[in-house]
Amino acid sequence: MIQQWYEPFSFSEVLRRTFSFLNIAVFIITAIVIFSELRFDWFENLVGSYLVSTNESRPETGAVWDTGKQTASAHEYLNEIISKKEDTRQSVHQAETFLDLASGILPGQWVTLEKEQFKRLYLTLEKPIALKIIEPAQLVWLLNGGSLDRIFCEGITGGIKLYFIDSENRVVKQIDLEKEDILEIENGGKPVPGELADMEGFSGRIYPARVFFDALFKLPVDIIPDLMMDPKPLLKQDGKIINVGIWNEAISGYIRLGFEFEEKKSKQVIFIKGREWAVWQLSLNLKGEGN
Amino acid sequence: MNLFLRVIKLVRFCLFLGLILVSIGMLCGMFLVFYAAKDLPKLPSPLSRIIERPQTQVFASNGQVLITLGERKTIPLNMVSQDFINAILATEDHRFFEHHGVNKLRTLKGLYITLFKSGKVQGASTITQQLAKNLFFSFEKTYQRKFKELLVALQIETSNTKQEILHAYINQIHFGAGAQGVEKASRVFFGKSALDLNLAEAALLAGLPKSPTNYNPYRHYDRAIKRRRVVLKRMAQVGFISDLEAQQAMLSRPALHHEQSDSRTGSYFLDALINDLILKYGEDVVYHGGIKVFATIDTRLQSYARQSLKKGLERLDTMMGIHQEKEDHPQGALVAIDTGSGAVKALVGGRDYYKSEFNRAMNSQRQSGSSFKPFLYYSAFKTLGFHPETIMTDMPVSIPVKGTADWEPKNFNKTFSGDMILKKALINSVNTIAAQIVEKIGPRAVNATAKICGIKSPLKDVYSVALGTSNVTPFEMASAYTVFANLGVRHDPFFFWRVEDAFGRVIFEHIVQEKQVLEPTITYQIVDMMKSVIETGSGRSIRQMGFNRSAAGKTGTTDSYNDAWFTGFTPTLCTSVWTGFDKQKKLVDVNRVGITGGKGAAPIWADFMINALKSEPERDFPIPDDIRFETVDTKTGCNPKEDNETINETIEVLKVPLKPEQQLCVEGEL
Repeated sequence: MIQQWYEPFSFSEVLRRTFSFLNIAVFIITAIVIFSELRFDWFENLVGSYLVSTNESRPETGAVWDTGKQTASAHEYLNEIISKKEDTRQSVHQAETFLDLASGILPGQWVTLEKEQFKRLYLTLEKPIALKIIEPAQLVWLLNGGSLDRIFCEGITGGIKLYFIDSENRVVKQIDLEKEDILEIENGGKPVPGELADMEGFSGRIYPARVFFDALFKLPVDIIPDLMMDPKPLLKQDGKIINVGIWNEAISGYIRLGFEFEEKKSKQVIFIKGREWAVWQLSLNLKGEGN
Repeated sequence: MNLFLRVIKLVRFCLFLGLILVSIGMLCGMFLVFYAAKDLPKLPSPLSRIIERPQTQVFASNGQVLITLGERKTIPLNMVSQDFINAILATEDHRFFEHHGVNKLRTLKGLYITLFKSGKVQGASTITQQLAKNLFFSFEKTYQRKFKELLVALQIETSNTKQEILHAYINQIHFGAGAQGVEKASRVFFGKSALDLNLAEAALLAGLPKSPTNYNPYRHYDRAIKRRRVVLKRMAQVGFISDLEAQQAMLSRPALHHEQSDSRTGSYFLDALINDLILKYGEDVVYHGGIKVFATIDTRLQSYARQSLKKGLERLDTMMGIHQEKEDHPQGALVAIDTGSGAVKALVGGRDYYKSEFNRAMNSQRQSGSSFKPFLYYSAFKTLGFHPETIMTDMPVSIPVKGTADWEPKNFNKTFSGDMILKKALINSVNTIAAQIVEKIGPRAVNATAKICGIKSPLKDVYSVALGTSNVTPFEMASAYTVFANLGVRHDPFFFWRVEDAFGRVIFEHIVQEKQVLEPTITYQIVDMMKSVIETGSGRSIRQMGFNRSAAGKTGTTDSYNDAWFTGFTPTLCTSVWTGFDKQKKLVDVNRVGITGGKGAAPIWADFMINALKSEPERDFPIPDDIRFETVDTKTGCNPKEDNETINETIEVLKVPLKPEQQLCVEGEL
């Protein structure tokens, strides 16, 4: 075996090289590193500290965050429901009319209406108009005598439903109000441009004003107020009544009467409602069958 | 010299190689740390945030909490038995207080075994690593996942104290049976707080997290006890307890708390309610929204329902000669609905929830047999002007059916009784008369009546619908019969009155709305006929069992005896009971005689109703103003006094309710 030029020539040379300052230093440093790690876990601490420093920039992933997201999404959804309800409640609270009430509640939304507020809205209506929503006697009983707990108002497509409910959540009275009905209730007596002949439901029951009023005045005097329960809109309207029509359907004991006004060549119709039995008496007179 | 030199050279080489390898390893390690750190999940701060989760609670009508979804009872460490803490440390990580997230020696040993001993895998996860895994990682076994888990563990250790880590660990760890966290586990398994756990119980609990399903003490008690032995031995080895204490604890067999024995709801009613809630609000809101749900269930009635069904089905077992546990047992379902509101008061969907979660009350669509006949009779009364005194003839019938053989229904007793009034026909459940009626009015009219009453399952427009061949659920039958109980007023059935968010703000409220769907007078006539079913007809076993209140109902038995029904009601409560096998299998007694609704389901109904109504005052069904009663001969439909000068005692008479315009003995009616 040939000895290379860099190999030690003697045993002492071997020992000298083995225990050289560099070797001992490397060995000691290595030993310190290893044992200090085993003793003080500095590597774990170092990595841990590094990770703590990057924590905020890391993604929120994993089971615990997923659960958190589901919770957040649930709360978001619930808050959305609550906030919509709160908006509805506020708009209902601020409602001055039944139309405001219906406009404030979207289909599927609901809100509890205070008894006092319902009373307030109800009392703003003219008596004959109020009758169309609920008989005052029935309302008095519901609000003050019956088992009514609260009024539950639900939005439906094209209107609202009012549920008068007792303490067991049972509906004791239900009123369905279509927006058109509400408009009519609120705008009752407001003129509608057009002629009676063009309007549905009056065909064959349109009479010249003179004929109509002649027949009307033939009725006993105590019947006439039931025919024109609220003459105010008619008195307010300018122009001349040329035709009067009787609608072909009775609703809740009332029949609609249409008064066609002419003023400066424009025609407008004003609707009022008369009690069914009074209109029936009038119809007999119109047909010449009355007394 | 040469040899010595060589040895020295080798040692030196190894040292330097080792040094280089360690250096390379450290460099690679650093690189991997930097590389993996980018994808590591963010750690919540403080760590206790992981155990904050809003719980959804469901309350019964009496305010009792029925279930808390996502329940995790968090408790501080000083409220946990020291035995449990010692047991979990000894089992999972006895050097927990010494390491910094990683047990290096155990990891190296585990790595060596996993790499060099084929087929063996040695786990070395510390409690901190387990916490990291449970919080952020899936359970797939990859080195990458392990490495990331290790890094998160290091971060957890750096940013939290050992006490905080242990607190988080014991409060989020899964013990199985729906128990997350030691307090919940302690309450579920032993019905006591975690502070009161003794050594034997604590060791049993500490053994469960390794495999909550395999060691579930409710299902595998002996396995759990065996696992506890390992835990106790470890505790003794580590020095937490003496060998003697371990031996003594091993002898103890802790009694399990049986009130809640599974992660499932344990209730068919709650399953139905939760499904309904999920349909309305989605899973996130139900399981993570922390909502409060006020259910309709009456816990007293629910308990009676469970007991009555259990007792009734055991009675059926005896009748059928089924004694072996392994044999196929008949199943059953019971649904009770408040007639005045539609609120579901009790619902049991099977014999044992823990053996079969299939909710037969809601999901098992079965032929209803003759219990469908009230819909048929109502339709006939309504469309043809028939009434309880109308005469028809029980005789062989053959009804032509397009494209198939004629339909020739038979009576249950295979005999024919000739002329009889319709009240008698319903009391005796005469099939041939039902067939003649459906031929006259058509199946669509019958189905239309059933649908307006609330039957939602698809109904076939076939003649045999008159005999109940369409499939319906007990829930639907109970709901539809409430319309009869209310004299034609329908209330939609529902499971909860109110839903609130975590702050008590109402997000849903059920309003009881009434819909008059059947004509009250005709409905009363049907109710009167159904009352007689209980008095003298196929449901008379109800009276024999001692149920004496005013009630009406109808039995139902399918041709093949596969299904036995009884659906009936008092003025306040409507209950439907179904019994039968899940498979197509006959209900026959030991003498091979078929079991009818009157024998199989009616006794369950009676037993339940006796208990359910015992504290309620007796009430009768209101009689509509325009109803008058006449006593008639069941064969002629005429008043026996008018027919004969003296009442012939052999004549069977029945009282029938009639409308003003309905006359007796009308010429040509026969």
